[in-house]
Amino acid sequence: MKIRPGQPAPAAEKTPVKIKINGQWHEFEPGRDIEPAMTLSYLLREKLGYTGLKVACDEGACGACTVIMDGKAVLSCMKLAVEAHGHEILTIEGLSANDPLIRAFAGQCEPGYGTAMQCGFCTPGFVMAAKALLKEKPEPTLGEIKEGLSGNICRCGCYGGIARAVQRASREPEPEGGKP
Amino acid sequence: MKERPSGSGAKTPYKPRVPRSFIGSYRPRIDALEKAAGKTEFADDLTLKSRYPGLLYAKVLRSPYAHARIKSLDASRAEQLPGVKAVLTYKDPEVAALKPTSAGWTDGVDTVSYERMMWRHFRDRRVLGGHACWATDEVGAVVAAESEQIAEEALRLIKIEWEVLPFVLDPIAAMQPGAPIIHPEIAPRNILPKDVVGGSDVFVDKGDADKGFAQAEVVIEATSIHHNATQASLDNWCCLVDWKPDKLTVLSNSYEADQSRMHISQMLNLPLNKVRVISSYVGGQFGRGDTGDQPFFLFTALLSKRTGRPVKFRHSRRESFHDSRQPAIYTGKVGAKKDGTITAMYFKSIGNSGAYADHTMFALKFAPTEITEAALAHILNVRMESYGVYTNKLPACMMRGVGNSQFNLIFGHVVDMLAEKLGMDPIDLALKNFGHEWGGLPDKSLTAVLREGAKRIGWAAKRHKPGAGPVHDRVKKRGVGFSFHPAWHAEWQEARRGEIRVRITVNPDCSVVLDAPTVETGTGSNTCNVLGCAEALGFLGIGPEDIVWPHTVDTETSLKDCVQTDSAVSYLQSEVIAHAAREVKARLLEKAAKLLKAKPEDLDITGGRVHRKAGPGKSITVRDVFMRGDMLPVVVETGRPPNPEKTGVPYIANFAEVEVDTSTGRVQVLKLVVLNDCGTVMYASGAEAQQIGGQVTGLGEALTEEIIYDEATGFPLNFNWLDYKIPTMADMPDIDPALLEVWRGAGEYGACGIGEGTLTCTPRAVLNAIYNAIGVRIDDIPVKPEKVLRALGKA
Repeated sequence: MKIRPGQPAPAAEKTPVKIKINGQWHEFEPGRDIEPAMTLSYLLREKLGYTGLKVACDEGACGACTVIMDGKAVLSCMKLAVEAHGHEILTIEGLSANDPLIRAFAGQCEPGYGTAMQCGFCTPGFVMAAKALLKEKPEPTLGEIKEGLSGNICRCGCYGGIARAVQRASREPEPEGGKP
Repeated sequence: MKERPSGSGAKTPYKPRVPRSFIGSYRPRIDALEKAAGKTEFADDLTLKSRYPGLLYAKVLRSPYAHARIKSLDASRAEQLPGVKAVLTYKDPEVAALKPTSAGWTDGVDTVSYERMMWRHFRDRRVLGGHACWATDEVGAVVAAESEQIAEEALRLIKIEWEVLPFVLDPIAAMQPGAPIIHPEIAPRNILPKDVVGGSDVFVDKGDADKGFAQAEVVIEATSIHHNATQASLDNWCCLVDWKPDKLTVLSNSYEADQSRMHISQMLNLPLNKVRVISSYVGGQFGRGDTGDQPFFLFTALLSKRTGRPVKFRHSRRESFHDSRQPAIYTGKVGAKKDGTITAMYFKSIGNSGAYADHTMFALKFAPTEITEAALAHILNVRMESYGVYTNKLPACMMRGVGNSQFNLIFGHVVDMLAEKLGMDPIDLALKNFGHEWGGLPDKSLTAVLREGAKRIGWAAKRHKPGAGPVHDRVKKRGVGFSFHPAWHAEWQEARRGEIRVRITVNPDCSVVLDAPTVETGTGSNTCNVLGCAEALGFLGIGPEDIVWPHTVDTETSLKDCVQTDSAVSYLQSEVIAHAAREVKARLLEKAAKLLKAKPEDLDITGGRVHRKAGPGKSITVRDVFMRGDMLPVVVETGRPPNPEKTGVPYIANFAEVEVDTSTGRVQVLKLVVLNDCGTVMYASGAEAQQIGGQVTGLGEALTEEIIYDEATGFPLNFNWLDYKIPTMADMPDIDPALLEVWRGAGEYGACGIGEGTLTCTPRAVLNAIYNAIGVRIDDIPVKPEKVLRALGKA
């Protein structure tokens, strides 16, 4: 079941909210586990401990809370938890340790471009946004990377390193099965 | 920016002056993998309620007025709200008894006591008072509740009768007779008085400036204005305080731990060993926390004491704006002979301190004094004058590049203007006049950064007379400009900080634990430490991967942390590590000598083997020395007393190429070249990340970032990231980082800090390039399109 605009939220019916997170279905009881005004970022971080995503601006301006919903990058601070009912959420904890993007972000040290992170606070958000970008555009140009990741802020300013990492990851095979 | 085809775009790595195994290498950060995988836990992650089941959340009342006093306060309804566990007000004896303080008191660069705080003349803050000095000031009351929502609701239930006072936002208006006075007991005319650290209003008076101007054949005058920008760390400042009867424990994402412990101990009258401060990863610092709402640690502690439960306080994004860059209005005047020899320089600044003095005078007087000692050493006549002025704006100061960024905006301005008036290339003018006290002219370091920058930006081909370049797309004009500055110099830091201690533990298997504590804020000093340690312990035949660097600073178990300020940590700690490594070797040789029945002085260690110095002979591994002996690790804990030797400063510079759309006023930066003479590059990838990364803030300050106030109410209007514009990846130009090793300081590596300097020259380089493009000067940043159109007479 998916919630459509105008339909009463499941919370009102007291039926459990079901969300698939990193491959596993979870049930949340309205009033106990989940509230109508609870954001998805709050549910994932505070209730479930998925702390890879960060809440930095809490108003959809920085991308630090980016997770993937049904294959698309979403800002979890701007989504109500109940909006995820019936949907599939992927957080950075759900990526393989061998994920090409994680390896590329970690390994970036190509001269002239710096590293792909410094403090690392924005990094999970960038990795998830890049993950969604590569799904849509397996070999993006630099311009497409810049546009695709322009919803994310890195105050340490590692944009050059991030772009290089995404370009490199786009040329590497997925750990299992290869790219579509 | 030009599209690079995938796979190309290789840039030239820098060439190290001295070949080394690990120092200066291009490699990933030591924490890169855990950060990329999202496994790094920041303070906000470590303080979830699931980890602290009894956790309460604190919220503080914020002033709805730019200037007001609480006449009466009734918190009874808030106290009765279900879920509220404590309400503290400024009337509570525990709160009222707290000493007056300053948000800048723990710094200077290092831990100080209450009596020795750097700006002790300006203790103008109450931890929680009844006097609100600016809109959104923390004032009056604080609540601890079961959730942040309940705490916020409780604040709304507090009934307050305000006495609304007149306010002033502009520092020049605040200096006029009849202006509202913010802190009459400290500054009866809003102007901060002379103090022992900053000095008097004329704080530099070298030679005779009047005489120098009389000797001049050419004189120029200029103005530059810096507005409030904010650090914008993604990781909002927070703390969790758990005050148990026997001990107060604090978890925070402050950039220091030992300073926090001293602050809390002295303000709450607790012995130092009853205060435990733990700090680990910080999601970006940029000067955040050196000024701002520091008192929140104290009221959070009192709430924990009152409730007997752990209490968490976290800035909202809105509240994160309470830390910012100090605005300053600079005027500069320079006189020179026709051949370009500068005869006199005069600078005057009026700084908007905002509602609390904090570190104002650090920016206005302390930093320019150091610049005078360094870069202006060959200018015979220099006068500098400064006024820090209280207003009802947000208090500000410590932000990456403190004081230097504001000064560079005028410094690079007068150099560019004077060169134009003399008909000289500003590069030649700079080389003719600026160096440092310990060397002659032209300065080798300055020559290297300016010549390299000119080459990389294409100076000779692209620089034209102001506004006289070719027009692109009918309305677009291009220009190039640069600015330069003395680098952050660790020799000064070292003298001011005192001894720094590290501990190296070599285990029997030759794996190493390096205790070189500093809070990990992303600067790369953690990786510098490990590379420096691997280099210094090279005789063990180990590499960086064999070294563990504990990332948590805990005042109960760690050595005192080296504070993450002044771009100095990599340099300072590496020097001590090299010193400690020599001691490690001596201790290992003693161990081996006993085993081999030889004299330690006849032995040496290379590649992990102990052997006789004379001839190859028999050798054994260091591992065997341990394994055949008592298997006790070698632990060396040592410090390095400050080295008072000063050898001068290297230089840094930024070159910019811009394109200005004369029909819309939009400025697009096409390219930035960032040049740092590092002395020794400690960690190339980290240094480049600092060079490239600093441009986000530098370019933000130059073009888009500014806190805007409603003049009618004094209320800040854009305390959010939708209206406060931070550059994204799509906004940034191609950046070319250039690392140089020309100057060499004292010590093992002779390196100097680079982090703060990377953004210091950016706004002025961009402004000079804009002038070169359009031929009209714009004096204040950020250069938004309307300012360009106004300058062009189109708006």
